[in-house]
Amino acid sequence: MAEQKLVTITIDGKAYQVPAGENLVDAARNHADNQIPVFCYHPKMAPVGMCRMCLVEMGTPERDPNTREIVHDEDGNVKVRWMPKLQTACTQTVSDGMYIRTTTDQVADARNNVLEFLLTSHPLDCPVCDKGGECALQDLTMAHGPGKTRMVFSEKMHLDKIVPLGDLIVLDEERCIQCARCIRFQDEIVGDDVLAFHERGRTLRIITKSDPGFDTYFSGNTTDICPVGALTTVDFRFGARPWEMTSVPSIDPWDAAGSNISLDMRLDRDFGGRAMIKRVMPRQNEWVNEIWISDKVRFGHHFTRAEERICAPLLRNNGNLNEVSWTEALDTVAGVLKAANGDIGLIVGSGASNEDLWALRQVVNGLGSERLGAWPVTHTGGELIAQVGVGKGTNLGKLGKGDVVLIVASDIEEEVPIWRLRIKQAHDRGAAVIVANARKTRMDDFASHTFRYEAGKAAHWLADLKKSAPEAAEAVKSAANLIILTGAEGLTLEGHAALMQAAANLLIETGHVGKPNNGLLSTFPGANGVGQYYLGYTPEQSVAMAAKPPKVLLVAQADMLADDPSVAAWLDKVETIISFSMLPDGITAKFAKVVLPIQSFAERDGTFTNGERRVQRFYTAQGPMGWSLPLWQIANRLGEKLGQGKAKLSAAAVMKEIAASVPAFEGMDYRALSKVEKQYPDVGGASDSYYYSGTACKNTGGLGVVIPTAADKGETVKAGEVKLPAVPKAGKGEFVIIPSTRLYNREAQFKLSTVVHPRVMVPFAEINSADAAKLGITSGDVVQISANGGSVRVRANVNGGAPEGSVVLPRHLTDEPVPMAITVGQVSKV
Amino acid sequence: MSLNIIFREKDIPNIREFDVYSKNGGYEALKKALSQTRKQVIDEVKASNLRGRGGAGFPTGVKWSFIPQDNPINYVVVNADESETGTFKDRQIMENNPHQMIEGALICAYAIKAAAVYIYLRGEFWDVAHALDAEIARARKAGLFGPNGKLKDADGNPFKVDIFTHLGAGAYICGEETALLNSIEGKLGQPRVRPPFPANKGGGLYNEPTVVNNVETLANVPWIINNGAEEYKKIGVGSSSGTKIFCLSGHVKNPGNYELPFGVTFRQLLYDYGGGPLNGGEFKAILPSGGSGPILRVTDEVLDTPLTYDDLRKFNSILGSASVIVMDDTVDIVWVASKVTKFFKHESCGKCTPCREGTYWLDKVLDRILAGGGKESDVDLIMSVAKNMQPTTLCAFGEFAANPTIWTINVFPEEFKAWVDGSKKPAEEKAVARPARERVAAAAAPAGD
Ligand SMILES: Cc1cc2nc3c(=O)[nH]c(=O)nc-3n(C[C@H](O)[C@H](O)[C@H](O)COP(=O)(O)O)c2cc1C
Ligand code: SF4
Ligand code: SF4
Ligand code: FES
Repeated sequence: MAEQKLVTITIDGKAYQVPAGENLVDAARNHADNQIPVFCYHPKMAPVGMCRMCLVEMGTPERDPNTREIVHDEDGNVKVRWMPKLQTACTQTVSDGMYIRTTTDQVADARNNVLEFLLTSHPLDCPVCDKGGECALQDLTMAHGPGKTRMVFSEKMHLDKIVPLGDLIVLDEERCIQCARCIRFQDEIVGDDVLAFHERGRTLRIITKSDPGFDTYFSGNTTDICPVGALTTVDFRFGARPWEMTSVPSIDPWDAAGSNISLDMRLDRDFGGRAMIKRVMPRQNEWVNEIWISDKVRFGHHFTRAEERICAPLLRNNGNLNEVSWTEALDTVAGVLKAANGDIGLIVGSGASNEDLWALRQVVNGLGSERLGAWPVTHTGGELIAQVGVGKGTNLGKLGKGDVVLIVASDIEEEVPIWRLRIKQAHDRGAAVIVANARKTRMDDFASHTFRYEAGKAAHWLADLKKSAPEAAEAVKSAANLIILTGAEGLTLEGHAALMQAAANLLIETGHVGKPNNGLLSTFPGANGVGQYYLGYTPEQSVAMAAKPPKVLLVAQADMLADDPSVAAWLDKVETIISFSMLPDGITAKFAKVVLPIQSFAERDGTFTNGERRVQRFYTAQGPMGWSLPLWQIANRLGEKLGQGKAKLSAAAVMKEIAASVPAFEGMDYRALSKVEKQYPDVGGASDSYYYSGTACKNTGGLGVVIPTAADKGETVKAGEVKLPAVPKAGKGEFVIIPSTRLYNREAQFKLSTVVHPRVMVPFAEINSADAAKLGITSGDVVQISANGGSVRVRANVNGGAPEGSVVLPRHLTDEPVPMAITVGQVSKV
Repeated sequence: MSLNIIFREKDIPNIREFDVYSKNGGYEALKKALSQTRKQVIDEVKASNLRGRGGAGFPTGVKWSFIPQDNPINYVVVNADESETGTFKDRQIMENNPHQMIEGALICAYAIKAAAVYIYLRGEFWDVAHALDAEIARARKAGLFGPNGKLKDADGNPFKVDIFTHLGAGAYICGEETALLNSIEGKLGQPRVRPPFPANKGGGLYNEPTVVNNVETLANVPWIINNGAEEYKKIGVGSSSGTKIFCLSGHVKNPGNYELPFGVTFRQLLYDYGGGPLNGGEFKAILPSGGSGPILRVTDEVLDTPLTYDDLRKFNSILGSASVIVMDDTVDIVWVASKVTKFFKHESCGKCTPCREGTYWLDKVLDRILAGGGKESDVDLIMSVAKNMQPTTLCAFGEFAANPTIWTINVFPEEFKAWVDGSKKPAEEKAVARPARERVAAAAAPAGD
């Protein structure tokens, strides 16, 4: 990194060297340990100088008008010309020779007075306030405020105390101190400017401008950065006091970005007196999610303790599943496996941890099978990620002017919302964001250029970029840093493989590999899509099993039928299916001979490898549901029964074995993964500092370790052949069906968070208006879409979103599954 | 004594019309300015001592000289928000002599190399805006400016600056220049943090360097260009050159706008022009700059004070936009404090804590005093609250809002004392106030209904 220019500023008589250009509040805090109190200032957002809490005395050295020399007094001290009025520190950038005083009476009075003003109309309902105990207003009042009120009236300002800003967030207008942090978060960080001030003066209040209200995937973050308890989530509201909870570091179980979260636990009567997740909070990791998380993980945690969970091993007898002991269940499975003569297949979902993947693989390998299938089979190209994935040291938060992010075939907001959030900000900092898809997606709003190609032809488009989009080719070539991010929307597995290869080739040809902030990313579904590849699982092997079904199939944490209705045909041909599952699904209901209950991410330790190949730990927070066990442990016990060696005692021990056996994980142990370092902004650092960034958690669980790519290690990486796939063509009267992803859906786990239900879309499909006119369909009509032998009924959404001749059909919204990959089918009005 | 630099309609009927204005030397100043260098124009305005008539009295030429001439896009914004209590001069200018303001704005646009002029009018001035639009269209059609402008500047470049009107939505704070800029941009009308100032890159309209001038300020400019700075300086006294329009209201016989040279005294204004006390009462107090400036107790010394920016400082007051509100001895000063505070409470934008909360708090305590429930400590309390507001707010509104409390207590302590020691009771107050309002209501009601 380039040497940073330093300037000298003097705070309360002491000189400090601080980086030029730094905000004064940050500089005082980071270098002089001087906590200038703030309410409206937030280190992630532009200052607005509204609350007036940060007032300080500011001055410059007096200079002789003739010589321009600095004037000294008799004692040799620099004579400072102090400005007559106090200045807001948050709106100042440090400059050489700046003088600041923070301990004078004038400053102390101003702090006291601003607090007194804030408290005049504050309801002071701290005893029942969610923020009580971690409230900036409480803390700063204790530190700088008046001990007594002079505002003696029987009635104070009254405003509405329960204003739902949407289905998820509730505003208490009386508690709001009008700092605009929530509005600015939505405007600046997210780009969904759905909040605003209404009215003026003392009745100035927050409203939502969108319909539905507060329409964004990031609303929960405003409750963290709100300096008071004005914004609460419907999930946590009045749920617990902050000091009653213990924060357990964890990882977003759905997120390819691997957002760091904290599970805030309390022994709770609603959960039989056991430790229960009361709220999910962001955990700071400036490399990964900074201090933000999506609403999906914040509100989607209810499945971990849902009644629907499978709590004991189940064995099928005469068609019915009956509870049995672990011993009986494992003996049965061991017997089945031994009898299979190695004709065994294993399919594991992307929510399984690295330890799970490793332990299961040992069992199968030990029986002579190498058939390790990754699920779902939408994304592929893990080997290319291993070669030219984003370079070690990549930080999306550092992309800016001169850099290019090229997004192809992804609805990134729905697939990996945190990446969308960070790339949007990279765009604000000047990075060129190029979005190419067969249809308009939300990311188009934050794109410098958008391109369209024929559905299914993403790889064709990218492989021939110079012809298909000369402008994009030029931008890519001259980019200072280049990241190519692929999705699999509108693609078959071969289509995505080709797209990944085309992307890798482009990166290699333009020299954008093996360096930080350069390389390949893909929106692998689930938290551990990349981990699957490193531990030997590929979607191609899952596909191969369809062609030649094994005698015995182990299905772990993969709701195969919900993802792809067509698998039923070949699952029927499998003699015995063993399911490792948390919740009942199509496999447990119809196919499994034995169902082994596994634990959720909250009940155990483990690691996930995120899309940037960062291996990150999650920790045990909740006690197990029933007799469920961690997936890796079930595998280990099974191995023990099969004579493959003793079961490991902990996930950490499994990781040791992985590190010893898989080169990518070399040197990784739980201690290395749990290393933390000081991060800026320093949230929750000192005891008084959560007000500085809100209630995001200090990271105590680890920042993770990144697996280097081949290019990182200096190995030569070569472009490969792009095998352009055949593209489905719609015949007469047919449509191309483009399945898409929705962040909020009716997948088995997420469905159990009822608080989010109002925000999950009614099943729908986007239809082009020209097609709709031909079929006599208008928005809201029920249409039947039939493809691959199945059919679903959904509402038509005629909005020009789908290219002519195609329908965009979101997956996981309907009860009956829809096709997983692009295909052709019929559309008719019902 | 009267000299109509601005109110030329008094000398030339119908000068509001483009043809009449043109025939009477209209737009000659613009042509003259265009034949000079930009620096010459700015220097002339600087030399004239013209100061902003919007309230702050900032030297206009100096303001223009802050604009970076090498910036590709600069703007002129005419502040026609006219919302200071007791101010009603800009409306008269725009209704009766609009082209002079337009011409002044165009001269400014040339001097600072602006791309366009925006006239920001308060929402209630929609009719004024429509009339202005029509006059602007006439002048534009005549090829004086706009896309088909035929005039050429000193470098031979065509002068194509255009002018647009923009209506506000009824908020006092949008007269504050940075809130005004936000409002034009379609944002919430709240002031911006300075620096950057409007004249700086990043601080003006759409982030571009911008001159914001009051209507009256700009209406002076053509005269200065035509007659020269030296002539202009001969009018007025000291650093207060030229004429000023005094908006006289309250308990005088002849309220109205009076264009008079700086230096005229209160006595002349109130008696010679205002015709003396309305109901034969006695003058008691003057708000020389509407609700936002410190109040004065009427004494001979005050009456004989020349009205200039500097002379009012003697009494800790300001001339502001010269909206002179006069009160006779029937007026209760605590009621005045309360009334003006209510205005500020209603108009506070709410962006910063001390003003948002302070105006609310002051109003509540003043209400308590006027309801007869005040204590002596309440007077100390509101003094302290008001003084805590002044040094901590984001914009000058907060300072204005504290003035009524601070200066009514400073200047008329006995009136507060009467309210808090029980010698004055609420009933008396109501008896004075109510009939007046009922009279107005009765007059407004349609007959026979
Ligand atoms: C609260 C507040 C209200 C103001 N209202 C007006 C107004 O209505 N009209 C006006 O011309 N200036 C108003 N001003 C002054 C403007 O901010 C600005 O100083 C002025 O328009 C500059 O023009 P000038 O230099 O020609 O006076 C107001 C200032 C404040 C702080
Ligand atoms: S709701 Fe909270 S974050 Fe939003 S303005 Fe009010 S106090 Fe600030
Ligand atoms: S002083 Fe008043 S008007 Fe000015 S920014 Fe603050 S709240 Fe708004
Ligand atoms: S004004 Fe600086 S922190 Fe609010």
